[in-house]
Amino acid sequence: MFNTFRSTIRRPLFVFFTVLLTAVVTIFPIVSSAQEQKPLRIAIKQETGNLDLLQNVSALSTYSLVFDPLIRYGENGQLEPALATSWEVSEDGTKLSFNLRQDVAFSDGTPFNANTARWNLERWMGKPEFAWIGISDAMQSIETTGMYELTINLSRPVPAALYELTIIRPVRFLSPNAVDAEGRQTAPVGTGPWVVTENNNSRTLLTRNNNYWGSKPSFSSMELKVVPDELARSNGLRSGDLDIIGGDWVSPLSPRRARTMQRDPNVAVVAEPGTTSILLTFSPKSPLLQDQRVREAIDLSIERNAIVAIIYEGFATPTTNLFPTVIPFSGDRVVLPQRDVKSARSKLEQAGWKRSGNQWLKDGKVLELELMVSEEALPGSRRLAEMIQGQLSETGIKVRVSSVDNATIHDRRPVFQYDLTFMATYGAPYDPHGTLANLLLSGVDSGPDGKIYTNPELDVVVQSALNAQGDERIIKMQAIYNWLNANMAVSPLVSPKRLWAYNRRVGNFQLPATDYQMPGTDVTLSE
Amino acid sequence: MFQLIARRTLLALAMILAASALTFALISAAPGNVAALIAERTAGPAASAELVQSIADDLGLNDPLPVRYGRWLLGSVNGNFGESLRTGKPIADEFAERAPVTGLLLLAGGAIAFTLSLIIGLLGAISNGGPLDKLLRAVSLVGASAPNFFVAALLVMLFSVTLGWLPAFAGSSAASWIMPSLTIALFPMSVLSRVVRVNLQEVMSRPFATTGFAMGYTRFGVLAREALPNIAVPYLTTFGAQFTLMIIGSIVVETVFALKGIGAFFIEAIRFRDFISMQATLLSFIVFFVFVNLLVDIICLLIDPRIRRQSNA
Repeated sequence: MFNTFRSTIRRPLFVFFTVLLTAVVTIFPIVSSAQEQKPLRIAIKQETGNLDLLQNVSALSTYSLVFDPLIRYGENGQLEPALATSWEVSEDGTKLSFNLRQDVAFSDGTPFNANTARWNLERWMGKPEFAWIGISDAMQSIETTGMYELTINLSRPVPAALYELTIIRPVRFLSPNAVDAEGRQTAPVGTGPWVVTENNNSRTLLTRNNNYWGSKPSFSSMELKVVPDELARSNGLRSGDLDIIGGDWVSPLSPRRARTMQRDPNVAVVAEPGTTSILLTFSPKSPLLQDQRVREAIDLSIERNAIVAIIYEGFATPTTNLFPTVIPFSGDRVVLPQRDVKSARSKLEQAGWKRSGNQWLKDGKVLELELMVSEEALPGSRRLAEMIQGQLSETGIKVRVSSVDNATIHDRRPVFQYDLTFMATYGAPYDPHGTLANLLLSGVDSGPDGKIYTNPELDVVVQSALNAQGDERIIKMQAIYNWLNANMAVSPLVSPKRLWAYNRRVGNFQLPATDYQMPGTDVTLSE
Repeated sequence: MFQLIARRTLLALAMILAASALTFALISAAPGNVAALIAERTAGPAASAELVQSIADDLGLNDPLPVRYGRWLLGSVNGNFGESLRTGKPIADEFAERAPVTGLLLLAGGAIAFTLSLIIGLLGAISNGGPLDKLLRAVSLVGASAPNFFVAALLVMLFSVTLGWLPAFAGSSAASWIMPSLTIALFPMSVLSRVVRVNLQEVMSRPFATTGFAMGYTRFGVLAREALPNIAVPYLTTFGAQFTLMIIGSIVVETVFALKGIGAFFIEAIRFRDFISMQATLLSFIVFFVFVNLLVDIICLLIDPRIRRQSNA
């Protein structure tokens, strides 16, 4: 009887503990894994900074995680709604009306509406330091026509106005409670999918904004780890200490490293068409390059396919267009010329140069050009310069590669103190207007960026295109490209691909529309 | 004794002044316009020539070099190094955040170099021409010849990428400091172990070592009891020099292991032509060099009466 009693007692206990143990064993890992899921770890080349929307200090790529614009730059330059659900441009182009999203709050709980939007826009629009943005320069007034309706009145039409509203800063929206008494930003509080919870010089930690109006990320936190060294970044990805690296403005991945990483089965490399072009530019003040035929001889001596194969390891497209096709209004494609050393020599002869041994002479002067490069300004440019030097030497054009630091190139480029140099177009979302206005118009102060080429005739063509509206824009933009080609004002070389890499923990990796943004919202994570 | 220390301290201060003047002049002579960089930071693409000029006037960049040096030195003595052109933060704040990282790295590396160099040197001396002595000599030679970045890359490839034992970046856990500390310690450890080995060999041929053997001590006993104290001065002097040189090594090690210390700050300042940060960091390096060497000098004065007598004479 005692045994029966014991077994009667024991059985339910046994069952109870078995069920409990099973539950603990099954549920605990689920709960603990949910709690302890590692954040998505993305490498960044430099610290994030304070993310002040009005200062030119912080890393551009982090802004888009925290702050939203009215309009977003989408695939191939398509304008997509963000904080504005719809917009309308008046026929004369001087009135931009926006209907704002109504279910949005900043991450500190402050509601987003026409008043907060207007307060944000008035922080920078019409201010002299933001005159480089056309819509700011032309702003006359900002009206709130309803709780969620906003109108920007301009003194003149700004055809690129909507594109300007997609750039990274200062156009994004900050909580009005995140400023001090003088109006200076005190914290990065936006309406975006992520909230900054820790920010120092070694990392930035973000947590999901659970009140985000758009599709919320599937994981709860993200760590941006500052790793300035490219080799250390790729090792970190391969060892599992990082999940994603890449992007010119996030944590650049060189073509050579990308090619090596393709052999690692635990890493996936993504190479997609880029939005920038690398250009060989001619100084308009160089006496040796005044004759267009010399510039043509240089262009004819260049083998772009070899540059793509050797310098870019195949991760680039040879081009003679100023902009790649993914850029809006990038114009008709120009057929890639074949390298032709014989024709190049013939051009030099037509220009009055005489062959003497392995060099060209004219009025006792040797055709020797200085190619100024800075590895800091454009990574890989020294090797590229050496390759161009080799290619031009076959024609007999001597090239002296002058490798300088970033500060020197900043000083010399604006005053055209070189014969040849490399430049890059700005890329999406700044192009085509950014490059055309800043790097081709002689009257615009582009500071240390310098100019691709300047010419009074070109100024007229560019200005006319920038002012054009509607279908006329396509024709007038094409006129710029035609002028550049007809005058051999610049020699575009390649359009590098956008290179990223991620490890097997990352799923559904999709590149953002521009390299100024960070992947993350659509990504899924597995442990 | 006090006079000796005071004289050494004055000499150290004079050295700091001379070295800081030289570095200030060299950095000022380098190409690049500080005002243009500040203008670019504040106004972005809107940075105009007028803005650059007004910034140059505000900062007194057009003043003569000695005036600028005096102003900078006075500010530095008061802890005001200016603002970083790259981050916009006060450099003193950057130092306060980063000094513990570099300090920990140097202390860990210094401790490893100190301990292992003595062990290796002593083992070599015990083996005295045997296979172990030869092996340790070869290890020291390789350690002294291998550059930091190469050693760091090999360690990461082996322990992080291949074996997955240690994190590729430092700072996340105690284990994450192992590879950076070993990397930075390798060169000084190799040099110091040779200093120990060679000096022990020399000391062991002296009469007091022979007396030790005659008194019945083993080779290890003579080495530990008689020889080691006699190499303290050359060892400490070399250790001081090697320890200060580790700050140069920290530039590479911090970059490779993603540590945000003073070394990484310096290399970022160079990369971005952040002249103000470069000058401040170089000044901190100079002070560090001079301070550690002064400390070693004082320790040597304290432990070796012969130096005190020589200095007094």
